[in-house]
Amino acid sequence: MNRHLAAAALLAALSNPALAGPPDPADPLASVMWDVLRPELFGTAPVQFDDRVTVTAPDNAENAAAVPVMADATALGAVEEMVLFADLNPFPVILRFQPLAARPVIATRFKVQQATPLRAAARTPDGVWHIGGKLLDAAGGGCTAPPATYAAADWADHVGEVQGRAWAPVGEDKATRVRFLVRHPMDTGLVAGIPAYFIEALTLRDADGRALARLQTAEPLSENPVFTLEVQPGAGARSLTLDGRDNQGGEVKAAIPLPWVQGALP
Amino acid sequence: MKRLFRTCLLASAMAAGLGLSGPALAAEGPSNDDLLNDAKSTGDVLTYGMGLQAQRFSPLDKLNPDTVKGLVPVWSFSFGGEKQRGQESQPIIHDGTIYVTGSYSRLYAVDVKTGQKKWQYDHRLPEGIMPCCDVVNRGAALYKDKIYFATLDARLVALNKDTGKVVWSKKIEDYKAGYSATAAPLIVDGKVITGNSGGEFGIIGMVEARDAETGELVWQRPTIEGNMGTLNGKESTMTGVMNASWSGDLYKTGGGATWLGGTYDPETKTLFFGTGNPAPWNSHLRPGDNLYTSSTLAIDPANGDIKWHYQTTPHDGWDFDGVNELVSFDLKKDGQTIKAGAKADRNGFFYVLDRTNGKLLSASPFVTKITWAKEIDVKTGRPVYNDDNRPGTPVGAEKGNSVFAAPAFLGAKNWMPMAYSPATELFYVPANEWGMDIWNEPITYKKGAAYLGAGFTIKPLYDDYIGALRAIDPKTGKIVWEYKNPAPLWGGVLTTGGNLVFTGTPEGYLKAFDAKSGKEVWKFNTGSGVVGSPVTWEQDGEQYVAVVSGWGGAVPLWGGDVAKLVKDINQGGSLWVFKLPKA
Repeated sequence: MNRHLAAAALLAALSNPALAGPPDPADPLASVMWDVLRPELFGTAPVQFDDRVTVTAPDNAENAAAVPVMADATALGAVEEMVLFADLNPFPVILRFQPLAARPVIATRFKVQQATPLRAAARTPDGVWHIGGKLLDAAGGGCTAPPATYAAADWADHVGEVQGRAWAPVGEDKATRVRFLVRHPMDTGLVAGIPAYFIEALTLRDADGRALARLQTAEPLSENPVFTLEVQPGAGARSLTLDGRDNQGGEVKAAIPLPWVQGALP
Repeated sequence: MKRLFRTCLLASAMAAGLGLSGPALAAEGPSNDDLLNDAKSTGDVLTYGMGLQAQRFSPLDKLNPDTVKGLVPVWSFSFGGEKQRGQESQPIIHDGTIYVTGSYSRLYAVDVKTGQKKWQYDHRLPEGIMPCCDVVNRGAALYKDKIYFATLDARLVALNKDTGKVVWSKKIEDYKAGYSATAAPLIVDGKVITGNSGGEFGIIGMVEARDAETGELVWQRPTIEGNMGTLNGKESTMTGVMNASWSGDLYKTGGGATWLGGTYDPETKTLFFGTGNPAPWNSHLRPGDNLYTSSTLAIDPANGDIKWHYQTTPHDGWDFDGVNELVSFDLKKDGQTIKAGAKADRNGFFYVLDRTNGKLLSASPFVTKITWAKEIDVKTGRPVYNDDNRPGTPVGAEKGNSVFAAPAFLGAKNWMPMAYSPATELFYVPANEWGMDIWNEPITYKKGAAYLGAGFTIKPLYDDYIGALRAIDPKTGKIVWEYKNPAPLWGGVLTTGGNLVFTGTPEGYLKAFDAKSGKEVWKFNTGSGVVGSPVTWEQDGEQYVAVVSGWGGAVPLWGGDVAKLVKDINQGGSLWVFKLPKA
């Protein structure tokens, strides 16, 4: 069996230009996790460290349970997928984002376990991952502390509730800024006695059901996570819909009105 | 930690080289025919009850009273965590995997050969769940590519059997009104059929069928007369006749929880669901028979209509409940074979019914002391009450007259399933000998609050034993043999073609008995009380036995004097697998 595997790998290596290509550039953040994460997140696809992908976050996390972060890859032009990750978190991937009819920019909050490189990678249509990032200093512990949500006895009544707002479009591409919060404890499963319980998928849709942005969300997102996106709904859409689910089959469903469109509000 | 230090380079290279994409295709799970055939197939255990009729009989005979001394543990799997409460589950075995549920709504998939965990699902329970009788679960149901189980917050969850990922999760009822769910779901013709729990909170008992693929509701059948059923999203038929056996609005809080789930008889295409106690316990507040509480309902699986009912305790005043399983079997008597069903009721009588029409064939005591009724009249099918053994009505704010009644409300037999052997033609019933002081108190209904209107305390009847495993001949109602156990029996029973009967004890033993003589032939201490249901199957030419261990359930919570006797039993939470190695 092992021999077969090795043979298959060799065969694949010979026929795969990526493997035969130039070695990766050196990690500018000199992360000890890079060699592990590189194949896990990007496989054999080409990567380059690229200042056009920016990650905005504090230098030092004030609250390890909710670190604000914005990843922006608009300088690249067309982007098919983005990955936001923190190398030294127990679950490095924070989220994956497909900007289907949206600008490749996203802002959210996440839990940090210790000081770590914080990065965004954006895949352009040519298959290349462009990676930007920064170092985040933190006292840590954000992934192994229970959420504040549980202080309220009725927390379970509100799981999946959404608060959202959209702003009138600006700029040439008529992108509409949307911000929404989903009530959810976002348990990592690392707190003793509390099972993993987190939102794993969210899709923001146009009025006709067409997906504008798809998010694959993971354990490190903060409780009651907040997302800011810039999407391009069709002209005349009165509201957007948000749907999704958590890892226990719980469903998220909400409408976010576009109040500047006539008739959007009841 | 989910971080995988795998060599992704190699994995993706393989995919490219061999033309594979994505994870390996999920193996197709058992079909409806496989479930129908479960009682006969010996290489797996696909259903709760080891067959939809729930006879808990395996034809396997490698293990027998002579060879069973060679039965040895293979591995033990810990349920982990601090959540070591009652483990009342029955394992499901399919295609190299054991699926087993644990306390606090947990589900595990374990490799059958090595005991290594494949995946685990921990349901996130809200605060404020209200299970009456410990945070137990009795088992999962397997069908095609999904595994199903009910949770303490009254939900039904379907997971992919290979990955443990949730496919859908549906609310059965509102846990804040006192509903919960602990029974194993039943799968018939592509529908997942469940009951509900919460009979102590004035809920409405319900049997529900959902599409196994999507979780969408197909039909609902309330168990209390006067409530409306549904079929495909529309009202179907009313259960019984409004106000026929309930006065005023009482049918809206009548109880009758179907908390133990049901069985299915493919020969008559009928579901059998036992229904629980009427609410409140104080029977003077609800004159009438209170249909269909403390009954067995025969239900059409296609539309949820009631075919017939048999009420074991009309106008129940002792929380005798009637939820015990009806086990279908062929009664061979006087040269005839009758399609019969048997039920060992909490009220102390062992009933044999014609399962085609619900007519009573016989009812005989299976415990030594029954105070509430003299007998069951076979002609009318009704008990002949001892009227002075019904606890009295409260006067003003004072409690009513207290009586000593037997059996106790925890039942001559509680949830723990009995077994039937077509080889010995005997039923093996885990019984308990206890009585109670019971009195009534004033009560009014309040959503989410206990709705009893009664006080009680349980007392053992004998110094030397409470539990009694009894072999009963359904032809005569006679007890053929018995095994007495110091602590109350609270685990299910298994019987085999090898002339063996297995059951567990709170003292920690899994025990085997000669099915004909009752002689104890094997025992093994699992380290905590056994209150689950053992199963057996064959694998690689060897016979295996599995059981969960972990003391808990209703006895330590509600047992009165008896709770004192069992307070030093340590808790646990593990799955034990045994086999008879090849010679």
